[in-house]
Amino acid sequence: MLEIKGLHASIGGKEILKGIDISVKEGEVHAIMGPNGSGKSTLSAVLAGRDTFDVTEGDVKYKGIDLLELEPEERARQGLFLGFQYPVEIPGVSNVNFMKTAINEQRKFRGLPPISAAEFLKLMREKMAVVEMDSSFSGRGVNVGFSGGEKKRNEIFQMAMLDPALAILDETDSGLDIDALRIVAAGVNKLKRADNAFIVITHYQRLLDYIIPDVVHVLYDGRIIKTAGKELALEVEERGYDWLIKG
Amino acid sequence: MSGTNYKYAPSLPEEFKCRVPLPGTVQALVNNGILRDQVEFDAGIKIVPGKDLGFVYNVPANCIAKESLQVISFRDSGNTSDISYQNSLVFGKDSESSMLLCTHTLSMDQFNTDEIVNIDIEEGATADIVVMQNEHNSSRHKVTFRVKVARKGNVRINVVTLHGAQLDNFFEVDLKGKEAKCELNGVYLVDGTQKINTEVRMNHLVPDCWSSQLFKGILDDKSVTSFTGRILVAKDAQKTEAYQANHNLLVSSAAKAYAQPQLEIYADDVKCSHGATSGRLDENALFYMRSRGIGASEAKLLQQLAFAYDVLEKIDNEKLRQRLYDLVESRLRGEFSHCDNCSMNCC
Repeated sequence: MLEIKGLHASIGGKEILKGIDISVKEGEVHAIMGPNGSGKSTLSAVLAGRDTFDVTEGDVKYKGIDLLELEPEERARQGLFLGFQYPVEIPGVSNVNFMKTAINEQRKFRGLPPISAAEFLKLMREKMAVVEMDSSFSGRGVNVGFSGGEKKRNEIFQMAMLDPALAILDETDSGLDIDALRIVAAGVNKLKRADNAFIVITHYQRLLDYIIPDVVHVLYDGRIIKTAGKELALEVEERGYDWLIKG
Repeated sequence: MSGTNYKYAPSLPEEFKCRVPLPGTVQALVNNGILRDQVEFDAGIKIVPGKDLGFVYNVPANCIAKESLQVISFRDSGNTSDISYQNSLVFGKDSESSMLLCTHTLSMDQFNTDEIVNIDIEEGATADIVVMQNEHNSSRHKVTFRVKVARKGNVRINVVTLHGAQLDNFFEVDLKGKEAKCELNGVYLVDGTQKINTEVRMNHLVPDCWSSQLFKGILDDKSVTSFTGRILVAKDAQKTEAYQANHNLLVSSAAKAYAQPQLEIYADDVKCSHGATSGRLDENALFYMRSRGIGASEAKLLQQLAFAYDVLEKIDNEKLRQRLYDLVESRLRGEFSHCDNCSMNCC
């Protein structure tokens, strides 16, 4: 589903990603771990199409398409989703309006008519239940006045609404208490299917107690320095990153 | 919004009324300053012609209005010379009422209109006034709102300015009785080489009064706006609360927004604040929206609408608010701003 080959990216002339290779297949959950500053968030931003980063080398194929050629909204319409580490507040745009616009823009791309009011309401209710979100959220401005945990739940809620083929969750666990973490993880597990895939970017092993990865990558200084099964996460938890960096 | 170049000049039909007026609304037409209909409704609320041009509107004391007046004021080719006139609005003691003032231009002539709107809020009266301005690209219109608020009087004016070559809105407010309140809100949308100037003089003359001003502008192309807001607190006007804010969203790099807040305070026990900002579209929010599949232009539109919404949400009448919201949206999309409900297609 996703083939990243030799990806290099920089910001303001400073190279952050120094050659990344990752291959994700349908039905898989990949975890990307690594210390602060290793390039985890840069990788997710580059995949989602943030233009503050320059891709200097390498390519990314998503479902056979050259992902790097697409605008951010085109990537989303092709089924890519980024869960933000720091979800953005958009005062004056209600969650309902935001989601309705997003869904209809995606439907338009697929040649479908706009979603009916009844259908939309049903979908909202159903997906809000997935993340145990209160219905009062829907009328409020996007992320405005939300606590850290509520913002992250809103990311998972949006993911559930848009039903992406590939979801990249950028440190969705940061700043979450254990209850919120459990809800977020349960949300992901409910959405997991044989025909979609997840890349979970995390600093800690904690989240991986709830979302069991098939593949774990350790990112350090812009490179994947180790790729293994889920046991790698436990090893990192126990021994830290030093043994990998030095080794 | 950029690049709108529509001709805003529908012809005048025989019957010029909203086909679907807002519920509970009574309409009166003012054509080139002349009141066409004399209307009386509710318990003695009246609008009659002024001495020369303009109109006199009166809400009797103690009247709690169930209906609302909509004054549709338009310039057309019937008189293309410069005109100036005064309107007088009196809101009687302890009355409660609301009204909508719309201004339009129906032919492509060069119009200059100088209008004074005298508003008297008598003791304990509450008035809720919405002003909608939608004029064409060669119309210059100056409106001076002279507002006097007596003891415990309460007035709110929400101004939505959609279009016009040069519109000057000047507010001179005297809070002259204790516990008087005045709230002024405005949103203006400009593009091309349009100019909108807003000037407020909020005079707190006696103690215990409250005022608030919120004006927001969305500027595209080479448009220019100015906001000059003065809060004057007289020597004896203790316990004054006065707030002022002007925020501008610059969509193009050539647009200019001038802001000049002025506080002149002679009393020592007051709460006053002012703030003025100019900013561009928020790149983080745009990326966030695009990452959900919302196209770049739609994302920009949503952000501009959100910016305008702060002012629109101050309009209590939900149906009117929705209509104005739709007009703002079509204006921002660069479409002809009308709401399909009116035979004039103007509002």
